[in-house]
Formats: sequence, C-alpha cells, structure tokens
Amino acid sequence: MAEFGVATPSLTVAGNTPATASGKALSVVALRKTYGDVVAVDEASMEIAAGEFVTFLGASGSGKTTTLMMIAGFCEPDSGTITVGGRDVTRLAPQKRGLGFVFQQYLLFPHMTVSENVAFPLTLRGVGKDEIRRRVGETLEIAGLSGFGGRKPRELSGGQQQRVALCRALVYRPPVILMDEPLGALDKKLRDQLQVEIKAIQQELGLTVIYVTHDQEEALVMSDRIAVMRNGLIEQFDTPRELFERPKTAFVADFLGAANFLPGRVEKHDGEHTLVRLDQSGGLVKARRHQLGSGTSVKVAVQPGRLRACAPDDGFCTGTVETATYVGTLVRAGVRIDGGDAPLLRLEVPAGRGPVAGERVGISVDPDDVNLFPTTEQGG
Amino acid sequence: MAATLTAGPARPRKLLASRRTRVGILYALPVVVYLLVLFVYPIFSTLLLSLKNADGSFTLHWYADALTGVNLSVLFTTLRISAETAVLSLVFGFLLAQAITRLKPMLAGLAMLVVVVPHFISALVRTYGWIILLGDKGLVNQAMVDLRVPGAPFQLLYNEIGVVIGTTSMMLPYTVLLLYGVMRGVDRRLLAAASSMGAGRVTIFRRIYLPLVAPGLASAGLLSFILSLGYYITPALMGGPKQTMIATLINQQVTKDNQWNGAAAQGVILLLLTLAGLLLVKLASSLGASRKKRSAS
Repeated sequence: MAEFGVATPSLTVAGNTPATASGKALSVVALRKTYGDVVAVDEASMEIAAGEFVTFLGASGSGKTTTLMMIAGFCEPDSGTITVGGRDVTRLAPQKRGLGFVFQQYLLFPHMTVSENVAFPLTLRGVGKDEIRRRVGETLEIAGLSGFGGRKPRELSGGQQQRVALCRALVYRPPVILMDEPLGALDKKLRDQLQVEIKAIQQELGLTVIYVTHDQEEALVMSDRIAVMRNGLIEQFDTPRELFERPKTAFVADFLGAANFLPGRVEKHDGEHTLVRLDQSGGLVKARRHQLGSGTSVKVAVQPGRLRACAPDDGFCTGTVETATYVGTLVRAGVRIDGGDAPLLRLEVPAGRGPVAGERVGISVDPDDVNLFPTTEQGG
Repeated sequence: MAATLTAGPARPRKLLASRRTRVGILYALPVVVYLLVLFVYPIFSTLLLSLKNADGSFTLHWYADALTGVNLSVLFTTLRISAETAVLSLVFGFLLAQAITRLKPMLAGLAMLVVVVPHFISALVRTYGWIILLGDKGLVNQAMVDLRVPGAPFQLLYNEIGVVIGTTSMMLPYTVLLLYGVMRGVDRRLLAAASSMGAGRVTIFRRIYLPLVAPGLASAGLLSFILSLGYYITPALMGGPKQTMIATLINQQVTKDNQWNGAAAQGVILLLLTLAGLLLVKLASSLGASRKKRSAS
C-alpha cells in the first residue's frame, strides 16, 4: 500500500488533516473540460501525495489554470472525478471543499486588517478567540510578518500582501493549498526570494501544495513533481530531474531543457545503445537504448549543456563555431554543422575552455544524455 | 544651502503673492461671487427673517411656534416619512443595483437607462401617473380585484402608503446610481477568495460584501433622507391631511397666510435637520473606523 517515489512530510503538524491510508491527499481522474469546441483540459489524471509540492507548468492556454480552478471548485468539469483525502468533491461548491487558495492578485479583504484577514477562515470554523489569536500570531511569524497584524492590506508592499494571502490560506491547515501564479505580479528579485520562502514554509509545515506557473525555473526550484501541460493534456508528470533527463515527449524536452533537435533515422541497436544516423551530417550518434525499430525516423534531442566540443572528427559531427557568448560561468556557442542549412546547434560549455568564433570543432555527447523521439509522433 | 533648507515652509504672505495663487483666486472668483449672492446671502436673510418680530425686534417665538402643537407633529411626520422613504429606497435600490451588476454590460446599460429616464420627466407628471395607477379604479387595485385578492381594493392614495410609494420612486434613481457605482467597484474575486476559505453565501454577503458597499449604503440612505425632508409635490398630491410635510407647511404659510417669518424659521429648522443628518453619518463612520483601529491593535 505504501507509495514510493514521493516526498513524505518532514514533520506532522497538529491540526493537519491526516492523509488517507494510501497517503494520497488529492487525486484527479479523467478530468475533462470543454469550452464550446475548445478542449481546455483533456482527461487529466494524477495522484498527489500528502506533503507533496506539485506544479502545473505550461504556457497560457495549456489548461493548467482550468485544472486548478476545477480542483478549487470555481469551474465545473464536464466529466471526471476529484477526490480530496478520499472524499469525492467533484460537484461540491468551493466553500465545501475545505481547500486553501492563493491568488495571483492577493485578494486580501481591504476592509480588514492583516490579522483579521488571516483570522477570517478560522472564524468561519468556529475557532475560539484565544486560539485564533495564537494561531494568527504563529502563522504571521512563520511568514515574517510579526508586527504587521494591525495594518491594512493597502499599507503593505506586494510581496508582503502575498505573504499575508499565503498565511490566510494555510492558517486553517487545509489538506491541499492551491496557488495560481502567486508570484506572477511581483518583480524578479522578490519572486526568487518568495520561491525559497514558500518552499521552506511548505517543507516545515508539511503542506500539500498545487502550484500553477508558466515559469520553468520557478517550477524546477519549488516542485517535488511537475505536470507539464500542453493543449489541455498532461505531457508528463514527473520529478524535475526525470523531466529534465528523461523527457517523454519532444515538447517536454524543448520546454524544460531547451533541447537541440537533430533529425535522423535509427540504424541499429548495439547492446545498451541505439545508433542513429543523422540526416544532415551523416554522422552516427549513440544514444541509450530506446525501443524503436530500425529505420524509424527520429529526432535526436540533446540539451545544450550536455553537448561537448572536441577535436574535429572526434565527435558524431563536425561544424564551425559561429557565435560564442561569454555569460559568466558558461560560454554559449552556436555551431553551424557541416552539410546542411539546419539551425545552429546550441552548446553550453564551461567558460575558460570554451570555443571561440570561427573555430572548427567536433561535437560529442554522452549516450545517456541523448533522448530520441519518433518523428511521426511529434511534430514540434 | 542648509540655511535655505531650515527656513521652513513658505510663509502665507509669500504664498498669496505667488503667481499661481493670484491666478487661482481669479478663477475661483466667479464661483465665490455666485455662491455669496445666491447661496450665502439668501440663507442669512432667511435666518434673520426667522429671528425678527413684526416690528423688527429680536425674537425666538417663530421657533417656539414651529416646535409646538401641529407644527411639531408636522415636523415628526416629515422625519418619519423621510426615514421610511430612505429605508425603502435603500432596500429597493440595493436589490435593483445588485441585479443590474449581475447583468451583461449591454443589458446593464439598458437597465440603468430605464431607471434614470423617468427622472427626465417632471415630478408633477410622474406623481399624477402614480395617482392614476394607485387610485381605487387604478391599474393596481383593478388587477388585485380581478385576482380576487382579499380586501381589495386597497386605499393606496391620500395616506402614508401613497406618499411613501411616491417619494420612494422619486428617490430610487439616486440610490440605484450611487449603489451601482459602489457595487461595480467591489472586486468579485474577493468573494471567490472568501468562498475558497469556506465562507458560505450568507457569510460572504454579511462579512465581505456588505462592509465593502457600506459607505455607499450610508451615503445613499442619507441622500434620500435629506432629499425627502424637503420634498414637496409628491407628499402634497399623494398624501392626506395627516401626511402634511414641512415643505407643504412652509408653502401654506407663505402663499396663504403671508407669514414669512414663521416659514423662515421652519426653513432654518429643515436646514439644521439636514446638517444634523450629515453630521450623524460622518460621526458614525469615523466611530466605526476608530473602533476598527482599536480592535486591530
């Protein structure tokens, strides 16, 4: 019955709704939502364990927010089920689901002070006055807002307001906290800082969080698992490392790893490896073993950071360095591969030993870092 | 450098001498003159009139008259009818504005037009319209008789019901306009936020929505109360002798009895009541604010 491969809460907090026997805080089965002819979310299914930080990552229109809104209850699915702690909440009104929600626009109640805002969900639950005061004080302290309790929301900065909103969503220890691009309205520096803070609070309190963002870095920094969404479909739901190292689709490889794509054809399998003949250079690239028949046309996907520059003719292909940009610890290079007019191959190599523009280089790669995607399956 | 900084704020005389101030005074002059001639002067002459005996000596007996006997009961009637009107126009205005905010923009515009356009028609005409509608053989009573409503036809005119129906309909556009503006300013997503925390509809309405529209409710209620205090045509035409309001009384004193001093005293009382109303609301709102502040700290 035990679930492996998912983070377990580092400590249990009094008042936290106990996870169900199977350890699932939330599960979504075959959730579907259409707006007219447009399929916003298509048969989304996932299971989220208690204490897990899960991110829905995707561009706008990918269905990530719609999925979140359906879980929150602000938007009714056409079909499918949503279960929170073993309870089917699919058709329940938002207020009956007992979840927490942090909005991008903070949405603090302007007529209430910070303390009153945070106390609001507790008063709804009939918590005693002293208990409310204690828990509000405690929560504000966790968010570094002690001493701000008497202020009105408009007297706070954006970052502080979002911290209050976070307090308000976690003060009653909902089994799952939903966050809809909570840092979207803040500037870069503050965003980076709050990412770390939110993650720290989540881990300290063992909160289960579902987070929506379009920012890959944010998703990678914060999440235990990420659901990459596109056109209403979950492309892949995995840990950041898996998504990065073992993308299941070309889209994921491109979206998260900004991979290079080289068209080719599977030539043969050789023990642990699959050998692919590249269309452009005619070179043979070695990838880890994929279950693909010989002759299948594929895209060879390699992230810029995993390619190496070597002596000409030592690698799987040869080319001329056209651009080399020094960006601190790295050099970003663009290499024109011989024998065709394909886009520049992008490399990221440690600065110092980096190639210079005009240099002839060979390109090599560790077979384990090569992912293959059949061309017929994925267009992009 | 430090010396000029410590010289502090500019002295008033210097301010008056600045070019900007002189131009400002020039611009303000027409309005000041207008107000002095048409507003301040009439009020003061009314005040003087109310304090003058027939022979020109100082007296307070016009006020004593205005605050005793029939005049006092008229004053109370005025306050009562105004309060009833304020409450009813607030309730209906609230419901109507609430309904309009839920409409699509096109329909909302149309609905606002329907609310406001009757106001372009003279109050006299509208009052006669109500008289036709509410009479014993009017549309309303006829319909109720046809529907065999027990007790129909009802007496809907020349009593307090008639007056309040009339004045409420006159005040409705004001309250609807005011409340609609305030309601439009309420961020609907705040209500969604409250529901995400577990608040039901009643709680959201009571603890989030109502406090946010409260300033609008206060000003709309006050406005219709104040406007009703001095209302003349509708109470005069739709009410009976028992519904005589202070404006009607003032009119009678001037046109029938040629009693300007008494009328002036009642006018001043009306003005003071209005000011008292304004002060009350101001006091209530600042009291509420300070109570909030104390409970927060």
